[in-house]
Amino acid sequence: MSISLKRARAIFVKDYKEFSRNYAVSIMLLFPICLALILRSAPPSLLHGAIGIVLNTSFVILPCFVQACLIAEEKERNTLRSLMMTPATTMDVLIGKSTLVFVMSAIVLTISTYILGYEPASIWAFVAAIILSIILYTAAGTICGLFSQTVLEASLSIIPVAVIFTGAPGGAFLVDDYPILKVLEYVPSSQLVYLLGIPNIGFTTGDLLKPLLIILAWTVVLTIVSVVLYQRRLKDE
Amino acid sequence: MDVIQVERIRKRFGNKDALTDVSFSIPKGEIFGFLGPSGSGKTTLIKILTAQLNPTSGQASVFNQPAEMMQQSAQKMRFGILTDNSGLYERLSIEENLELYRKLYNLPRSSIDEVLQFVNLSGERKKKVNLLSKGMRQRVMLACAIIHEPELLFLDEPTSALDPVNSSHIYKGLRYLNEKGTTIFLTTHDMAEAELICNRVAILYQGQIQTIGSPKELKRQHRENVVCVDLINGEAYELPIDEGTADQIADWMKRGLIDRLETKEPSLGDIFIKMTGSELL
Repeated sequence: MSISLKRARAIFVKDYKEFSRNYAVSIMLLFPICLALILRSAPPSLLHGAIGIVLNTSFVILPCFVQACLIAEEKERNTLRSLMMTPATTMDVLIGKSTLVFVMSAIVLTISTYILGYEPASIWAFVAAIILSIILYTAAGTICGLFSQTVLEASLSIIPVAVIFTGAPGGAFLVDDYPILKVLEYVPSSQLVYLLGIPNIGFTTGDLLKPLLIILAWTVVLTIVSVVLYQRRLKDE
Repeated sequence: MDVIQVERIRKRFGNKDALTDVSFSIPKGEIFGFLGPSGSGKTTLIKILTAQLNPTSGQASVFNQPAEMMQQSAQKMRFGILTDNSGLYERLSIEENLELYRKLYNLPRSSIDEVLQFVNLSGERKKKVNLLSKGMRQRVMLACAIIHEPELLFLDEPTSALDPVNSSHIYKGLRYLNEKGTTIFLTTHDMAEAELICNRVAILYQGQIQTIGSPKELKRQHRENVVCVDLINGEAYELPIDEGTADQIADWMKRGLIDRLETKEPSLGDIFIKMTGSELL
């Protein structure tokens, strides 16, 4: 599958211009920062819980919701079909469209983490988890957007993602009462919370690798699903 | 060389045939008109030719390759398309929309100036698309479709939202593109438009081609074998074309009595109604 960085960059620049003039969606950038400001007064013992809430909620609102809206708006206005008729390949379009959301999310989440004053056990594992999670939620947003016909539908379609992914770490606490909820421990948001809670001393590489590999597996699967779904949308059947 | 070849194409949606046994070919450099009322299958055929739909049966080839290959980037560089499903970025200006297409087709900056001149929008380039009239939007979409000067251009009702002045500007531009070598596949329900710019037309009705040929040929085939004569004294005659009529007309001419003399040729619209028993809507 060929990729033209020139074309991907052209789509990124176009998306940036559109996004910066779309105040209804661009205001979402403030949400993680506001949430971080509210939760920064949390006591140190609850800090990893606070950062978990900020990150997992922000992933749904930024990469997932914004990406779903950007894709759905293109479908609603028929611009996605026009884009599909140009020489831009599936990867050019998906990379171009995802880069904007990726860059914005990375900047906003860095600011939010700084506001909260969180210090991870391993900065590399933390950065890897954040990068993988942004890609993962962007792919989930792409899937929601491709299934929607309008921006309104896209807003509604992310509700299951929000409920399952944001609610999973909380649901995992009920495992003792409801053993079936053990499955929620394997949701990427639960793995992220687990990773964030690893103490700064006395951890092993294995402690860091397990959650990272689970998040990576989710990222790979959702990315493949989003690419396959986009390619199916190339047909107007 | 044929740019498009379609053989016995059939497309079925559910239990309804959108296209039935459609066959034709379009040589390089032709302006081919696909005429028919709304819902007759015109857009479906464009979608098949541009790999947006698979036919239920039959074969379609474009540039001597199966139509499915039109999904490849290299093939997409060779054609342009303007359909009802084309869209523009509302929050961007005309120039910013074209800038995207210029970069996607890897064209020089001058291509924007050229295409804006072509669609008569040079003075409006900074205007946001959400402030444009329907006709201006149509012209911007046309500009996006032709910015790369494609070898083959698919146009689905290109002047449906335009006033006569802008339509005429577009016709002039399409002829210019055609003279430079672009083959044009045009769908329309406007028979006058087809007559004006198409080298050949096919009339499509309920998914089937009813007739195909140049507008001149079709009119000749379907003309009534009569001649209409208006005399200067106000009398009007419709006479069969035969020797007696020739003598009569010669006599009137000698005596300077003829005001108007013409054969009764049908318009493409008349031919459509004659062949299908249906009005064009």
